[in-house]
Amino acid sequence: MDWQRLLVSYFVGFVLLNVLLGLMAYMTWFERRVLARMQHRVGPNRTGPFGLLQPIADGIKLLAKEDIVPANADRLVFLVAPLLSFALAPLGAAVIPFGETLHLFGLEIPLLVADINVAVLYVLALGSIGVYGIILGGYASGNRYSLLGALRSTAQVISYELVLGLSLVGVFILAGSLSLQDILREQQRALVIGPLTLPNWYILSQPLAFALFLIAAVAETNRAPFDLPEAETELVAGYFTEYSGFRFSFYFLAEYINMIVVSLLAATLFLGGIDGPFVDGVWWLALKALFFLFFYVWLRATLPRFRYDQLMGLAWKVLLPLALLNIGLTGLVRLWGIGAL
Amino acid sequence: MSLQVLIFSLLACVSILGALGVVIARNPVHSAIGLVLSFLNVAAIYLIARAEFLAVVQVIVYAGAVIVLVVFVTMLVHPDDLPEFHGRRPLRVATGLVLGVALLLEVAAAILTRSLYGAPGPWTDQTIAAVGGNTRALGQTLYSDYMLAIQLTALLLLAATIGAIVLARPEAVSERVAAARRTLTISLAHPRGLDQPELPPALPLPPDGQVKPAGGGRPIVLARSASEFTEQPAWGEWRTP
Amino acid sequence: MSELSATHFLLLSAALFIIGMVGVLTRRNVLVIFMCIELMLNAVNVSLIGFAWELHQLTGQVFALFVIAIAAAEAVVGLGIVMALTRRADTVDIDELRQLRE
Repeated sequence: MDWQRLLVSYFVGFVLLNVLLGLMAYMTWFERRVLARMQHRVGPNRTGPFGLLQPIADGIKLLAKEDIVPANADRLVFLVAPLLSFALAPLGAAVIPFGETLHLFGLEIPLLVADINVAVLYVLALGSIGVYGIILGGYASGNRYSLLGALRSTAQVISYELVLGLSLVGVFILAGSLSLQDILREQQRALVIGPLTLPNWYILSQPLAFALFLIAAVAETNRAPFDLPEAETELVAGYFTEYSGFRFSFYFLAEYINMIVVSLLAATLFLGGIDGPFVDGVWWLALKALFFLFFYVWLRATLPRFRYDQLMGLAWKVLLPLALLNIGLTGLVRLWGIGAL
Repeated sequence: MSLQVLIFSLLACVSILGALGVVIARNPVHSAIGLVLSFLNVAAIYLIARAEFLAVVQVIVYAGAVIVLVVFVTMLVHPDDLPEFHGRRPLRVATGLVLGVALLLEVAAAILTRSLYGAPGPWTDQTIAAVGGNTRALGQTLYSDYMLAIQLTALLLLAATIGAIVLARPEAVSERVAAARRTLTISLAHPRGLDQPELPPALPLPPDGQVKPAGGGRPIVLARSASEFTEQPAWGEWRTP
Repeated sequence: MSELSATHFLLLSAALFIIGMVGVLTRRNVLVIFMCIELMLNAVNVSLIGFAWELHQLTGQVFALFVIAIAAAEAVVGLGIVMALTRRADTVDIDELRQLRE
C-alpha cells in the first residue's frame, strides 16, 4: 500500500475540512448581510468591522447554552442524530477537484481528497444517508411538531433526490463517466460553433438539466422556498424544535455545509469547475460557488414558501417528467450525433 | 492474517451486530437503525470486493430509499401501540432460535468443507481497468448479455409503482374523487388551493353608509433618524414639539 | 483462512441470512418482519458478490443488481399493504391479522 499518497490525501482532506468549517461560519454572516440589504436593513454590524466577528460571537453563545434533552425523548437517538447530520455534511467535498496536481518538494499533491470512479453517485449516497439525521432527530424528540417536520422532510428529500439523480444522467451520458475528474476534463475542451469558441461547459449543452439540478438541490438542502421541514410559521422549528445549544448548532451548520458542498458540485458539474478564462485555478471554482451561494440567499429573500401538496406535485408532475424528457433527448442526440458536441 | 481479512472481519462483525439489533430491538425505529448500520457495513464490504457501483447502489437504494420508507411508515402507524417482541409466545421464539442455530451449523459446515470451485472468468482487475472501471464494465455486461432481464426489471418496477398507488388509494369514493381532482390539478401559484371550499359571501356593509375613516385619525410620524423615532411613545400621548 | 476468499463472504452471508430468518420466525410486528426479509435478500447479495470477486466474473454483480431492484419493488408493494392494513384493521401485529385463516 502506498503510505505516502495516503498521508498526502489525509493532509489535503484535513485542510479542506478546516477551510469548509471556516467558510460555513462566514456563510452565516454573508447570508445575514445580503438578506438584510435585500430587505432594506443593515444586518449584523456591531461585532467587529462590518460585523465580521459575528459568527464567532454566535458560536460562543451556542456552545455556552444549556443542552436540554426532553423528558419523553428517545435519549440515545436524540443525542446522536445531530452528530450524524453534521458528520456526513462535509464528506461530499472530498471528491471535488480543486485544481491540477501540485508538485511540491518532490511530492505529487493531487488537489482532491479521493478520486473515486463513482464520485457523483457517492455524493448522492451521502445525501440519502444525511436524511437520517433529520428523521431520527424528529422522531426522537417525542414531539408532534418534530415528528411532522421529520415526515415532511422524508417525503421531500426522497422525491427531490430522484429528480437530482435523474437530472445528472444527461451529464453522465455526455461525459461517459461518473468520475468528477473525467467530467471536468471533458468540460475543459473548447466548443467551436462557427465563429464562436465557447468553453464546453455542460450548462450550455444541458440547460434543462442545470435548471432541474438547481431546483432539486435547493429542495434537497431544505432551503427556502422548499424549507417545509422547518417551516417556522407552521411547525415551530420542524425537526429541531426540541434541540438547543450545540446540538441545535450542529443541525444549523450541517445545513450551511450542505449548501456549500452543493454549490461546489453544481459549479464543477455544470460550470466547468476550475476551468475559466486566463488562468485555470481554484479561484474560478470559488467564484462560481459564491454565485450559487448568493443565489440561495436571493431565493430566500424573494420567494414565499411552497404549500406541501404543491411541493410534491412540482416534484412528481413537473420536474420528474422533464428530467426523463432530458434523458431521452440527450440519449437521442448522443446516438445520432447531432451537433457532435 | 492479512490486513484485508482484518478489515473484512471488523466490518462483518459490525454488520452482524446491526442485524442482531434488528431482531432484538423492541422499538421498530431502533430496528431500522440497526438495519441501516448493517447495510452500510455490507456496502463497505462490497468495496473490498471491488464492486464500487454496487456499494453505492446499496447505500442509495437500501439505506437511502427502502429503509427511509420503512421508517416513514413506522411513524405513520400509531407509534404507541406497536406490538412488543417479548411476550406470550415463548414457544415460537424457542423454535425460531433452535431452527436458526441448526441451520447456521449446517450451512457453516457446508461452507468450510466446500470443495467446488468454478473456473475463473475474464474480469480480472487489469481487464476491468482496461475497459474503464467497474461501472463501465458492469454497464457493458448489463446492456449486452442481460438486455431482456433489465427490461423485465423495469416492467416489474412499473407494476410495483402502480400497485403501490392502488393500495394507498383512499377507500371511500368521495375521498377518491377529491384525490383525483387534486391529482389532475397542477397547482403552482394560485393564491388559494383549488381543493378548498369557495370563499364565504362578503359581509354586508353598515346600514347608513358610515364607514370608519382610514387610519383612525392617528398622525403619521416622520422620523429623520432612528433615535428620534424610538423616542416617540408607541401608544398613548403623542409628543408635540 | 489467512487470505480473504469467498469463504469469508459465505460465512457472513449465512450469518446475516439466518439472523433474518430467526427474526421472521419470532417477531410479530409486520414492519420488523419486513426489515428481516430485506436483511435476508441482502445476505444473498453478499454471497453473490463474494463469488463474483473470487471467480473474476461480473455475473454475480449483475445478479445482485437485479436482487436490489426486486427488493425495491417488494418494499414498495409491501409498505403499501402495511398502510392499507393499518387503515383497515388499525394494527401491525400479524397475530391479530387472521381474517384469511378464519
